[in-house]
Amino acid sequence: MTTKISTKIISYYPGCSSQASGAHLDTSLKAVMPKLGVELKEVRDWNCCGASVGHIAGGHVPVAALSGRNLANAKEDGTTDFVTPCAACYLNSHYTNEKIINDEHVRNDVNEALGAVGKSYDGSMKVRHICEVIAKDVGMDAVKAQVKNPLGGIKVAGYIGCQTVRPFAKTERGGNWETYDEPHFLDDFISATGATAVPYKKKTSCCGGSVSVMSPDKTLHLIRDIVQEAADNGADVIATPCPLCQTNVEMYQGMINEKFGTHFNIPVVFYSQLFALSFGMDPNKDAALHQHLIPTDVLKARAK
Amino acid sequence: MSQAASPTPKQKYDLNFARWVYENVDGGDRMALCMQCGTCSGSCPIGTQMDYGPRKLFMMIRAGLKEKVLTSNTLWNCVSCYNCVVRCPRKVPVTYILHDLATLAVREGYAEATHSDNALFAKAFWWSATKYGRTDERLVTAKYYFAFGMSEGYKRGMANMKIALGMVRTKRMHIGMPHKVKETSELHKILAKAAEIEARNNNK
Repeated sequence: MTTKISTKIISYYPGCSSQASGAHLDTSLKAVMPKLGVELKEVRDWNCCGASVGHIAGGHVPVAALSGRNLANAKEDGTTDFVTPCAACYLNSHYTNEKIINDEHVRNDVNEALGAVGKSYDGSMKVRHICEVIAKDVGMDAVKAQVKNPLGGIKVAGYIGCQTVRPFAKTERGGNWETYDEPHFLDDFISATGATAVPYKKKTSCCGGSVSVMSPDKTLHLIRDIVQEAADNGADVIATPCPLCQTNVEMYQGMINEKFGTHFNIPVVFYSQLFALSFGMDPNKDAALHQHLIPTDVLKARAK
Repeated sequence: MSQAASPTPKQKYDLNFARWVYENVDGGDRMALCMQCGTCSGSCPIGTQMDYGPRKLFMMIRAGLKEKVLTSNTLWNCVSCYNCVVRCPRKVPVTYILHDLATLAVREGYAEATHSDNALFAKAFWWSATKYGRTDERLVTAKYYFAFGMSEGYKRGMANMKIALGMVRTKRMHIGMPHKVKETSELHKILAKAAEIEARNNNK
């Protein structure tokens, strides 16, 4: 018996990494979300959110105006939920949206800037992380219902990182869907695919974020510890929701090995790639498992 | 550089800078409630690599040590993990305050700030984000590396060449023109207006 799923349409803000280092997150989400009853309607002509450093060069109002334009475009398109899979995009978009609602000065400033091209925005979109949508709106039963190729025997360390849950996951407007220090949604996602979520205390430790991109010397030890615990606990792969975490934890393993004398070579994938694989979809076209610096053979071998 | 917007204390424990921070820095109003418990510094992943942890930095603001605050590497080593924000018992939004102090330090032209890796990266990043409306990871990285000078830029480029080639091979770094928004002139008009408002706010 097939279960009829009603389709929910959401505004999808993929963020800049979707066209570069995080392309495999975008590809795999576009493959799996329709199967989970969610139609991704890309935010019209979206722009960068300002990430973790925009404020230093741009200042408050220009950074807020960036999110303001995205939110205004999404609202014009008639959706209510503005959803992104990127931790930094989520942080900035959600933060700006809350400011627009609660701070009259910010609301006026953003609208004055948007007014330069006849746009306006009132804060009425609901800015959400796509993992919250999957955990709450979709639910694990609907995910399990799509699993045709269970990933039994594969051990996964669920690495969440920071901004997916901090500082909004436990706030009412952030959906009140997770804790800050012991979030379980990723382990739930992993278990739903039939894989095993190994114990992993480092799940919300920081990979260094943009500091790792600009000055890895400051933060390589943070990533070493993240990979070390995954290795110690027997993980075949590390899975993460965050595009910057994925890139940092994957691309620096070689440098870490040189610096610390370790021998790491653990693939780092997105939960959405595990979904695609377990849904029996194409390992490259849908799961984008070919887009990794560290080969994902352990997963590809399980493709159906 | 624009003129210093914040006041400089004349003597120890002159609260004029602290009061300015309370009123003008994002989250500064909550900073007045800091009880020096140190949860923030204890929660910081790289607090040990900072000149001063957030707790100490906040006390230094109260002590009137403006220059030491705005030239400290604390502002550049924040990894934006938000542990301190969610753990602070007084709900002081520590990360936001550090971000804003970083912006202030650059705006007021402290050499330690304007030459920091973070400020140089931010400059390259903002150039791409505003010119194209999108971050081009290739151009931002290259521009950032060469902001340290030709030889350092070359050195950094070579050190990361293996990663870059891997990104190209796995189609996570494209060859060709930067991705950009369609309505670039619309975006530029919004940002020009926003910059004008920002300047107006800062000179109030």
